[in-house]
Amino acid sequence: MPLLYIMVISLSMFTIGIIGALVKRNALLFFLSIELMLNAANLLFVYFAQSWGNQIGLLWVFFVLVIAAAEVAIGLALIINLFRQKQVVDVDQYNDLRG
Amino acid sequence: MALAGVSFIQWLLGAMLIFSSLGVILAKKPMHSGLFFLLVLLTLAGFYLELSAQFIAAVQLLIYAGAILVIFVFVIVLFQDAHAQIIKYASRCKPLWLALAAFALTLTLVAVVFSLTLPPTVALHTDKPNFGTVQSLGIDLYSQFFFPFEVASLVILLAIVGVIYFAKKES
Amino acid sequence: MLNLVYAALGLPLVGFLLLMTISSFCTRKQSYIIGCGAILSAFACFGIVLVRHILGEPLVVEYALFEWVHLQKINVAFTIHFDALALLMSLIVTGVGFLIHVYSIGYMEEEEDHARYFACMNFFIFAMLLLVLAGDLIVLFMGWEGVGLASYLLIGFWYTRLPAAYAAKKAFIINRIGDFGLLLGIVLTFYYFGTTHIATILQKGGAISVDILTIITGLYFIGAIGKSAQLPLFTWLPDAMEGPTPVSALIHAATMVTAGVYLIVRMYSLFMLTPLVLQVVGIVGGITALFAAICATAQVDLKRVLAYSTISQLGFMFLACGAGAFYAAIFHLTTHAFIKALLFLTAGNVVHMLHGNTLMSKMGGLSKRMPKTNYLFFLGVLSLSGLPPLAAFFSKDLILEQVHAADLNWLFYAAFVASVLTAIYCMRAYCLVFTGRASESALSAKEAPLVMLIPALVLALLDIFGGFLEYNYKHAILLQQFLDFIILTPVEAELQNGLKWTDTQSVVVASVIASMLIVAWIYTRPYKRFAKGVNSAKFSEIVQKAFFINEFYYFIFVRPLKACAKFVSGILEPQVFTYMLQWIGTFTQKFAIVLQSLQSGQTRSYVAWIVLGATFLICFLVL
Repeated sequence: MPLLYIMVISLSMFTIGIIGALVKRNALLFFLSIELMLNAANLLFVYFAQSWGNQIGLLWVFFVLVIAAAEVAIGLALIINLFRQKQVVDVDQYNDLRG
Repeated sequence: MALAGVSFIQWLLGAMLIFSSLGVILAKKPMHSGLFFLLVLLTLAGFYLELSAQFIAAVQLLIYAGAILVIFVFVIVLFQDAHAQIIKYASRCKPLWLALAAFALTLTLVAVVFSLTLPPTVALHTDKPNFGTVQSLGIDLYSQFFFPFEVASLVILLAIVGVIYFAKKES
Repeated sequence: MLNLVYAALGLPLVGFLLLMTISSFCTRKQSYIIGCGAILSAFACFGIVLVRHILGEPLVVEYALFEWVHLQKINVAFTIHFDALALLMSLIVTGVGFLIHVYSIGYMEEEEDHARYFACMNFFIFAMLLLVLAGDLIVLFMGWEGVGLASYLLIGFWYTRLPAAYAAKKAFIINRIGDFGLLLGIVLTFYYFGTTHIATILQKGGAISVDILTIITGLYFIGAIGKSAQLPLFTWLPDAMEGPTPVSALIHAATMVTAGVYLIVRMYSLFMLTPLVLQVVGIVGGITALFAAICATAQVDLKRVLAYSTISQLGFMFLACGAGAFYAAIFHLTTHAFIKALLFLTAGNVVHMLHGNTLMSKMGGLSKRMPKTNYLFFLGVLSLSGLPPLAAFFSKDLILEQVHAADLNWLFYAAFVASVLTAIYCMRAYCLVFTGRASESALSAKEAPLVMLIPALVLALLDIFGGFLEYNYKHAILLQQFLDFIILTPVEAELQNGLKWTDTQSVVVASVIASMLIVAWIYTRPYKRFAKGVNSAKFSEIVQKAFFINEFYYFIFVRPLKACAKFVSGILEPQVFTYMLQWIGTFTQKFAIVLQSLQSGQTRSYVAWIVLGATFLICFLVL
């Protein structure tokens, strides 16, 4: 598979994830877009692992998966907590840290 | 042409991937976004299989689609009503600013892609018949990368503890 | 000997410091004792020195107290130069000063702030002594500035009175102009001579080119003009009469204003080398003498008559210097100190007994009510007019002869006219104050208390016998012998051979007597006296206001400066500077508000910033 193809796909997925992170107001969907970005990176890792025949890329993806799982768990717990405080899931209302 | 050597199924998978990720952000209901995300994960698993990373494909399905997505869908269902209330408030972030940022990044990435000197298409390595199998990955994981493996399990433990603490009801 | 000098120098300083320290709680008696005691002991010290000197002990001429400034090129030591001239001046300063201190006890008897008064007077004596005893130009300048400061403090003693405050400010500022000239002169002196030590300068005078020396001495003379109230810078002295009368007597008649003359005489060998400057000195002195005498004839205020008289007599002294007769200048300085102090003290008696009133139109007929003051004032009048055998006859006459002998004909005529005018205005003042019918406010006057009369009496005695300092009887003249280091002109040297009655003297005395008789006749006619010059005709007003020079200065110098000051404080400062400062504050605030918008707390905004940052990173690293 040519590199350009994977690059384009991966980068499009990544950009779509970023646009989602910028546009979405629901905190959950915001989070989901972040996961999309992670997956884009995973794809690249796997491709390069295969391309150079080095398995370290695959192991890297493995650990990314682990961390992503942990992160999702904690993140969702935080969102539930925030909902309890603010009664909305709108990220625009989570602005107590302004200065 | 740089895009030679892409088989039909790879084209299909690629198109599917783009379509589903667009669907994630363009869906009207959050539940639909979740389902589109599931489609993304499945397509990605297909890609991994194409790239002869079988273990990773399986792990992806098990963990991402089987655990993470499930939690997500859980919470989405939990906040379905709350989602409807978002329209009530005005957006408090200038959309122009966001558009600018997104645009800048897109441009940069396109530029990056086109400025790459692409190596010639690489064929599948055949001198490693066990590439990507559970067995060879397991050997690497438990010998060379043992310490990260243990740390990863610790991380999960921390995450569990943290989540339980966070999600507790105020007493 | 030296210890006595130190003691004499230090005692007034101690008196000043002590009085300032205890001023808030000391009693009247204490401040009198400390104030007068300090000066009396200083005078006693100098008296002892004089006696020892007469008995043969030579005067220690020079002593450095301590190394003051010790930089690489500038080496100034705090030297005291004690010769006959310094001793004479010190005796005058402390002697007349002591008498005036005693007089002040009576004059300031109702004053609450007596401690401050005596403290300032002591400070003045100290500064004046520093000036005359200085062996180094920097020390002299210290004393110079000190007397200026004392003058300011004492003119504005009653600082709550607005005219007094203005007068003090005016005196200080005009003095400053002169001081600036003197300072420039000192700087140039240091530059060309390499030192400011007076004795060294006088010796090395011949080695410097005449042009530079002309500039230096010219600058010294500018300083003298300011301090001694000569023609361009004299306007402060009449206004300085706002201060208490003893202050006017001491500072503005007997001692401070003579500092300019002292400077020129001290630097006499330099001045002898620059005939151009000496000419200018003489011309300025002569013109001032005449001008001030004219102005004095039309004054309505008693103290101002005496002020203009002082300016005129100082003009005589400078005229003498200009003719090369330095000895005559010092002699006149001495006699003038006695006479003017006497006149001021008796005038002060009148003013005090009339409760602060100085306008002559409110006085009159006081000869019966204040007989002793009457006699003393009349004595002063006769003396100042130059009648023999009183003091000023000898000194003024000597000056006139010198000027005549030096062929300065126009100046001689000017001085002659000024002498006659002196007699006229003195007699006028006497007649207006003491003869004729009394005005209402003068009806209640009584004779002054003894403490105020006795100093005047002492001065009168000095007045009578002071002239004979010059007289010789077979031996060389006393004062001359005393000041033996000053080169005498041939005319002065001739006096060694005896007092002669020359033509000049006859003419002068005759005209003086004649004019005095005429004036007395005019002013004792009751119906005419108040028509003539007390209030007035146009010409009289012009002369009274000193030909409107004051107004001229105000117009040319003071008004533009005031306008500038108003501009700065009214427009520049509040609008421009404050505005600029405010703008900095406002700008910072606005900038802060702008920056605040970055910290909006909006997650999506933060994501946008991160994305931008990532874009830049990618651009820099990859592209």
